[in-house]
Amino acid sequence: MALGSFDLTVGLGAIPIRRGRWSWIERMRLAAEITAAYVRTRRVLGHAPIAVVVARLRTPTGCHAGSEQQDLLVLARDLAGAVSRMLALLPGDARCLARSLVLTRLLARRGISARLVIGARATPDFSAHAWVEYDGHPVLPPGDGSFGRLVEL
Amino acid sequence: MTSKTAPDVALLNAHITVPQHVVYRSFPAETVVLNLQTGCYHGLNPTGGRMLEELERSPNVAAAVAAIAECYGQPSSTIEEDLVELCDALCQRGLIEIDGAREL
Repeated sequence: MALGSFDLTVGLGAIPIRRGRWSWIERMRLAAEITAAYVRTRRVLGHAPIAVVVARLRTPTGCHAGSEQQDLLVLARDLAGAVSRMLALLPGDARCLARSLVLTRLLARRGISARLVIGARATPDFSAHAWVEYDGHPVLPPGDGSFGRLVEL
Repeated sequence: MTSKTAPDVALLNAHITVPQHVVYRSFPAETVVLNLQTGCYHGLNPTGGRMLEELERSPNVAAAVAAIAECYGQPSSTIEEDLVELCDALCQRGLIEIDGAREL
């Protein structure tokens, strides 16, 4: 069996989609899930093209049992906030691409099909930015509006 | 008159494609090119960006030379030199593929 192909989150079911605050236990499980997703992301990134990385993080996928689009958007944004806060606490890269990849993983586990967008701007200096969108709505900050879209994955 | 070398003639007849793993966007000051396989960003000045766009939509490099020469009001020979050099640079960085018999 090839090393590095196991899923650290086996046994950690994704938090169900529902309105209302998460319990303490649910928050702890989410923190563990984010950490595991971050470890997986770091392991894959740098060894494969970004499109392959995104595809790997999207499998296996979960399913959402007929939740409404608005509920999914709210959940996606809640998860985005949790990812940003958690990655800020972890050692290593907490920049936009890492956040976007981790969030993509979390959303895929819940059957939420999101797009990872990479943009760039040339002035005043060159800069690139990555964010995640669900149903055309940004769930991670898309920047200040100056980033032109390069690719959606 | 400078005679064309065989590789240059082959390049002029070649069709240029931008592979799927290469994406680019033109801004007023620069064209940003991203190679998704390498994760590297590349920058082209506005003229280079215009050349890349023309290369992608033209049936071959010679047609791109003609279009750009007309656009900028420059001699075809000058544009041809610049475009061949640009194709070399882009190909070396994996940003274009040349469909035609030419070794760089």
